[in-house]
Amino acid sequence: MTKTVNKPVSVKKTILRLLLYFVVLDVCVITLYPYFAMLCTALKSREEIFSTAGTVLPITALWSNFIDIWSRAPMAKYMLNSFLIAGGSTVIAMLCGIPAAYALARMKFRGQTAFLGFVIVSQMFAPVVLLIGIYQVMQVLHLTDSILGLIFINAAFNQAFTIWLLRGTFMGISAEMEQAATIDGCTRVQSMMRVLLPVAAPGIVTTLIFIFINAWNEYTVALCLISTDTLKPLTVGINIFNGYNIIEWQYLFAASIFAIIPVVILFMCIEKNLVSGLASGGVKG
Amino acid sequence: MKMKKMLAALLAAAMSLSLVACGTSNPPANNSGSAGGSGSGTPDPAPSGDKVALNVIAAQYGDLTKDWWAQFQNDFNAANEGIDLKVEVVSWNDIYTVVNTRVSNNAAPDILNIDTFADYVGDDLLRPIKDFVSDETYAKFYPAFLEQSNIDGTIWAIPDLASARAMYYNKDILEAAGVDKVPATWAELKDACQKIKAYDAEVYPWGVDMTTDEGQACFAYYSWTNGGDFLDANGTWTLNSPENVEAVEYIVGLVKDGLTNSDPATQTRYDLQELFAAGKVAMMIGPNQITSYVEGKENPINFGIASIPANEGKSTSSVGVMDRFMVFDNEDTDDKVEAIKTFFDFFYEDTRYSEWVIMENFLPATSTGGEIMAAADPDAASWIEIVGSAKFYPTAQAKWADVKQGVINVEQQALLGGNVQELLNALQVQIAG
Amino acid sequence: MSTKTPAAPAEKQAQASPRLPNPGSKKLFRTIEPYIWIAPSIILMAIFIVTPIVKVFQLSMNKVTRAGRLKGFNNFENFTTVIKDPAFALVLKNTILWTVAVVVISTVLGFILALILNNQFKGRKVARAIVVFPWATTLVIQASAWKFIVNTDYGTLNTLFKKLGFISASVNWTSTPSAWFAWEIACGIFVTIPFVCFCVLSGLQSIDASYYEAATVDGAGYFQKLFKITLPLVRSSLTVSTVLNIIYVFNSFPIIWTMTKGDPANRTDTLVTYLYKLAFYNGKQGEASAVSVIGFIILLICASVYMVYTLRKGDEDL
Repeated sequence: MTKTVNKPVSVKKTILRLLLYFVVLDVCVITLYPYFAMLCTALKSREEIFSTAGTVLPITALWSNFIDIWSRAPMAKYMLNSFLIAGGSTVIAMLCGIPAAYALARMKFRGQTAFLGFVIVSQMFAPVVLLIGIYQVMQVLHLTDSILGLIFINAAFNQAFTIWLLRGTFMGISAEMEQAATIDGCTRVQSMMRVLLPVAAPGIVTTLIFIFINAWNEYTVALCLISTDTLKPLTVGINIFNGYNIIEWQYLFAASIFAIIPVVILFMCIEKNLVSGLASGGVKG
Repeated sequence: MKMKKMLAALLAAAMSLSLVACGTSNPPANNSGSAGGSGSGTPDPAPSGDKVALNVIAAQYGDLTKDWWAQFQNDFNAANEGIDLKVEVVSWNDIYTVVNTRVSNNAAPDILNIDTFADYVGDDLLRPIKDFVSDETYAKFYPAFLEQSNIDGTIWAIPDLASARAMYYNKDILEAAGVDKVPATWAELKDACQKIKAYDAEVYPWGVDMTTDEGQACFAYYSWTNGGDFLDANGTWTLNSPENVEAVEYIVGLVKDGLTNSDPATQTRYDLQELFAAGKVAMMIGPNQITSYVEGKENPINFGIASIPANEGKSTSSVGVMDRFMVFDNEDTDDKVEAIKTFFDFFYEDTRYSEWVIMENFLPATSTGGEIMAAADPDAASWIEIVGSAKFYPTAQAKWADVKQGVINVEQQALLGGNVQELLNALQVQIAG
Repeated sequence: MSTKTPAAPAEKQAQASPRLPNPGSKKLFRTIEPYIWIAPSIILMAIFIVTPIVKVFQLSMNKVTRAGRLKGFNNFENFTTVIKDPAFALVLKNTILWTVAVVVISTVLGFILALILNNQFKGRKVARAIVVFPWATTLVIQASAWKFIVNTDYGTLNTLFKKLGFISASVNWTSTPSAWFAWEIACGIFVTIPFVCFCVLSGLQSIDASYYEAATVDGAGYFQKLFKITLPLVRSSLTVSTVLNIIYVFNSFPIIWTMTKGDPANRTDTLVTYLYKLAFYNGKQGEASAVSVIGFIILLICASVYMVYTLRKGDEDL
């Protein structure tokens, strides 16, 4: 915490600041390197990618690769599906998770610890392992080859994180204000919605991003459940560039870059709330 | 089924609860489209009207496969009003996962296009293919090809295409390195590799793929050109025969002498093919598709094709690869049987079939298709000859999957310093019991 | 949850004060109310996770044919076959190394990164967005990109280093199985850091600045503040992220599968890639399910020990 508290900026502070920028810059460069490599590759021709000499930057940037993929695969449709899946999963996961986290944080009941344990245990099998069982459930519910099925699966697989993180967030917030609201005639639901949730915004936003990103990136279950091309999410759809005889790196990476953009934009929009959540978090006293 | 009802009730409860919770909007619309048919256990979309629904899962060979099948589906459905064909194209990376998941849940497709079939026969899941193919179409296949799908006297699958392997070499590199004669024996191959290495240390003389992807091909290349095999004539496993031990020791020796690509355990033949086309691998064994792949480049290398080198005094052998169509036993009605016959007639119709084979540069599995292609392209003619004499993996053996993973493991263990004889002995015991 | 809750004017927190006596029906409602709140979550998980888990246990106890049909209970034969396989011990060792390395290193680095990003500085928003990148990328793609980058022959890392003059000839970054495994771990850490970082950040942001001001007035140094104020206050988010990370990393599949498929000879296999090969390449779903049950038991033991410990402590504090 290099918080300057109304003092003249000392040499030490300046050095710390420079150090901070240096570290942040390094982190950013290292983090961005794979994306830089992906972008450069996405702009090259096949010949250039595998040429003996090797180039860092493309000799001539083939932006057409980015356009080609839209005609070679129904990218817009894939992207829409990914949005529906990720958005729907987030909504369902929150609708189920918030009440559960609230009950765990604000009520005492038998089986509380058992429930917490159950939530964790439910995550202990990798989806890859559960594929056969998942498919069976979906068959019974007539949800194979449907986006709704994927929404439920993703929501279920994100319950653990939702409940645990929100429980922690709620417990960290004093119950006094909610109690006051209850005395003023609010129901429990009202007091939760009006008093607790706004204060818990940072935790809720983090949870939202987490679920959205996880659902956006889910691959294995979608692969097995969805058979109609136009219902596929982006992660599965772009496999078309990963063929039997050749992997078309330039297209694969170009499509992947498109897949990252929405998530980053979403994050940047929500990041504002993360900061304002900080402000409201300070009020709790 | 009790579980069915219970699950449905639970789900309904969950949904109504979450509806109450938000008090407003509906969950996203259900688009599964499964209004009818609850008992069957198949995930077929509800057939529209009285149409016969036909589900096909097909393997994705390349970037054109998907569009080809989409076009096929449209044409087929337009030409056959009573049938509702749905073709699902799945990439090779994922097809086993997808198919096994479906099959274990009794949701097998009607027709499957894949390489293996013995496992499904073992579980009585397939129907003899002859009942589903019209005589006219059935007569088109090379009899030797059909025999590859013979288990206990019944033919269970028909080939959709084939490919064959041969040695590709970079003429310019060989010439510059002073290799006058294209290597035809193991000794000549090793000698050529050493010359190439001496000429340019940056070039890998020989390409080897021992990955989980296709390491079994590597075993076949050297075993079969050394008089060895997976099985003997009586169908007994002979994995640890002296010929096989010598074969694995030879190729592992080339790797250890630094005469091959750097990491055969993780470099697949796709990597090798890229390196070959870029002039970084001088020689490799590969499928016939490499020709068009290399020629499709802007500055294609100057390459030649030759037989796979054999050990001194042994004869060479090509490795053939074949994929298949098989029909699952989904308690078909007569209508369904007719629909499947129609499907195969449509698929193997000569012009359409040659188009299918040529599209991804495969080789035809029907004699009529072969004649058309050979007439059109002399290059294809020689390949069709190669595939005609090629040996195939023993895919009809129930233990083939274990053998395949087993020999790959032996190769990789040997790379890490294991004793080939001991490793193959252990595998032989494990497989033959 | 909403409409059913009676709008009792003076309703209070259950644990707040027991001073108002309640009539019987209200008391009954009090008892069942928490269960109504957790019901949707339980139902969701019961249907979509527990049922498939039951299926895995069923498969692990049965003889399963290659095409996936069950042929009856087989006396735990799947388990004994798996444990007898010499590769299993190696795979188990890899799994533990993989999990510990990825979780520990990414937790430490993610925590430090969160402390850095919690400072006010120009470009913080951009930096935070950049840190999200690895997380926003599908693992299959991320791993493909890494494999592409470290490739000896056409990898971008070699090309870049050659252009920058760090190296003169291509370096084989993955000459041994251990080198591959190290790259896979690096990739695992790379994609896990953002998750830890944002968990910690969300915890940091709910810390009242007045704590630090008070501590500064008291003359506390940076590290004193870090260990006395920051760490205890973000502990609950750190616990959550660590427990979940152990589970997710232990079960992580795409990175290793994309980069090496566990090759050569199981040297880079973890339990999940190993059982995937068993199930979908060798057609041994029974044995594969047995491996996943074993993995589950290991995780269960580790996680319960950790949870019982931290939960006790945590509940006392909060």
